[in-house]
Amino acid sequence: MDRVVAWIARLVFVFLYVPIVAVIVYSFNASRSTSTWGGVSLQWYGELFRDGALLQTLRTSLIVGISAAFLATLIGFLAALGLSRYRLRGHRFVLGAVLLPLIVPEIVLGAALLSVFSFADIRLSIFTMVLGHLVITLPLATLILMGALSSLDPTLPEAAADLGASPWQTFTRVLFPLTRSALLAAFLLSFTTSFSNIVISTFTGGVGSTTLPLRVYSLLKTGVTPEINALGALLILLTIGIVSAVGLRQMRRILAGSTPTP
Amino acid sequence: MTPSAPAAVAAPAVRLAGITKRFGDTTAVHPVTLEIGQNEFFSILGPSGCGKTTLMRMITGFETPTDGSIELAGSSVDGVPTRKRDLNMLFQSYALFPHLTVFENVAFELRVRKAPKRELRSRVEAALNLVRLGHLADRKPDQLSGGQRQRVALARAVVSRPAVVLLDEPLGALDQQLRKEMQIELKRMQREVGITFIYVTHDQEEALTMSDRIAVMSQGRLLQVGSPQDIYDRPASTFVAAFIGSCNVIPAVNTGAPGTVTVAGVGPVPAVGGDAALSGAEVWVAVRPERVAASAVRTPGAAQGTLLEAVYIGDRWRYVVRLGEATVTASVDSAEVSPELAALAPGAPVWLSWRPEHARVLTE
Ligand SMILES: Nc1ncnc2c1ncn2[C@@H]1O[C@H](COP(=O)(O)OP(=O)(O)OP(=O)(O)O)[C@@H](O)[C@H]1O
Ligand SMILES: [Mg+2]
Repeated sequence: MDRVVAWIARLVFVFLYVPIVAVIVYSFNASRSTSTWGGVSLQWYGELFRDGALLQTLRTSLIVGISAAFLATLIGFLAALGLSRYRLRGHRFVLGAVLLPLIVPEIVLGAALLSVFSFADIRLSIFTMVLGHLVITLPLATLILMGALSSLDPTLPEAAADLGASPWQTFTRVLFPLTRSALLAAFLLSFTTSFSNIVISTFTGGVGSTTLPLRVYSLLKTGVTPEINALGALLILLTIGIVSAVGLRQMRRILAGSTPTP
Repeated sequence: MTPSAPAAVAAPAVRLAGITKRFGDTTAVHPVTLEIGQNEFFSILGPSGCGKTTLMRMITGFETPTDGSIELAGSSVDGVPTRKRDLNMLFQSYALFPHLTVFENVAFELRVRKAPKRELRSRVEAALNLVRLGHLADRKPDQLSGGQRQRVALARAVVSRPAVVLLDEPLGALDQQLRKEMQIELKRMQREVGITFIYVTHDQEEALTMSDRIAVMSQGRLLQVGSPQDIYDRPASTFVAAFIGSCNVIPAVNTGAPGTVTVAGVGPVPAVGGDAALSGAEVWVAVRPERVAASAVRTPGAAQGTLLEAVYIGDRWRYVVRLGEATVTASVDSAEVSPELAALAPGAPVWLSWRPEHARVLTE
């Protein structure tokens, strides 16, 4: 029985990692076709970095991702602080409202955002896209930070105030150092969520705000190019970088829904 | 050695005028008016949920009173945020900052208040030496024992020499042995540094041994404020009598005869303080078990009862006696138990007596 399970586990691993390895391997393939191996070459990386249009979309994605992640972490921290510290009237309602976008299908959110923007006569731009991405990243950031804050002794901020700290000093000297890793995790997860998003970007992006995933998606309509393999390999590298920055343990805790330790 | 509020030359350290707190439609603290003197060790004693913590939190500024006003050292602090009040709180959970070393925890207030760098080190070290933890300055809180954490919290609370330190059941989490040591330590510290201590506890022995004055609270009200002797020997109500130490509270009727009240099924018994009650009023007689003398033979002026139980507890014998409709406990020094008394079996008649000044008539 155990051996069957072990074999299934191995198969799952193969299934998960074969595509990733394939992307990396083919990104070095000198031949344009995936069916032949033309020797090792860096030419696709070179072409990637000469593709101005693609680099432009990468820039857009980074700007949107960083802005959305920053705002989500900031607002999420304040929301988490409010929700975990004060027994506000309508506490549960607010919490529900913040977390709702996690379960509403993205396509519904996207359509809803689009109709709000057109109703309010707001032109679609990078700005509206950041707002759209904020809607999907805020619940994530809030959840992570609520976990971190609720595992703190609730008297710590009071103790800081009692010892003469202003609210800002309480943040910089007590809350920030104790939730640093959760803040980093919230930022990075928000960033990757935004960076890989297609649906919301499609609805809320305007002219000239094409993101990298949108560009890749449209390129793929004409078949996989080696250039995209090179891009894929670089993104995998970026992801590995992020995962190791957050820390594997931290990551597992967050995904398992329990609270990350400071 | 008569502990009393220090001479009121200066303004009291804390003055509460009609302080009230309501949460929705429950009243956690009914109007409290109180003055706490400078350098006083003032305890607030009461059962769980009676509003002790709420009262403290209003003094520190964590809670805004629904009504009334608070003065510290003569000036009103209504609306003044916690960080601008010249007081510190010692939390029951200690609330040490887990990411800072012992030294940095104690230095926190000095750093936040921008104390001169030169002073900082010497003041923190002095505070740590005061609690005898100088050698652990580089540890993190999670590398300390409960008692050590408690001392760090104490050092942190007194390092800036605030006028008032509030302690919310600071010894609650410690074991008996450590509690005793810390009680002595706390008292020593309070005398050495000359700070007003407001001390919340529900351990009455702790309150009696440490305090200059004690306030007894119940259900959000201050029932009695006084010296430990006042509270112990002259309780103002049956609640205070029964809450502090053990006490017999015997229902009786005031017959108007001076110096006695009548206990149903027994007759007149001696007690003082009955003058305040109306003749014919229902009252209670409060008398401590150790003040009750028991005898196996009829004694003039003693009340006859029936022995229910005799329990030996080392240095004392405890006799539980049915007296009329009441149950009365007498605690007798083992050395003074006569052979006749020692030979009594449950059901036998016993005669109980006490000196009039040891029994008080209570009207509520
Ligand atoms: N934030 C709050 N909201 C509503 N009710 C509260 C709040 N804080 C305290 N209470 C109520 O006020 C009353 C007094 O509470 P408090 O914490 O002051 O009691 P306490 O004397 O400190 O008890 P303990 O000895 O158990 O600590 C309790 O009935 C409590 O339920
Ligand atoms: Mg309490």
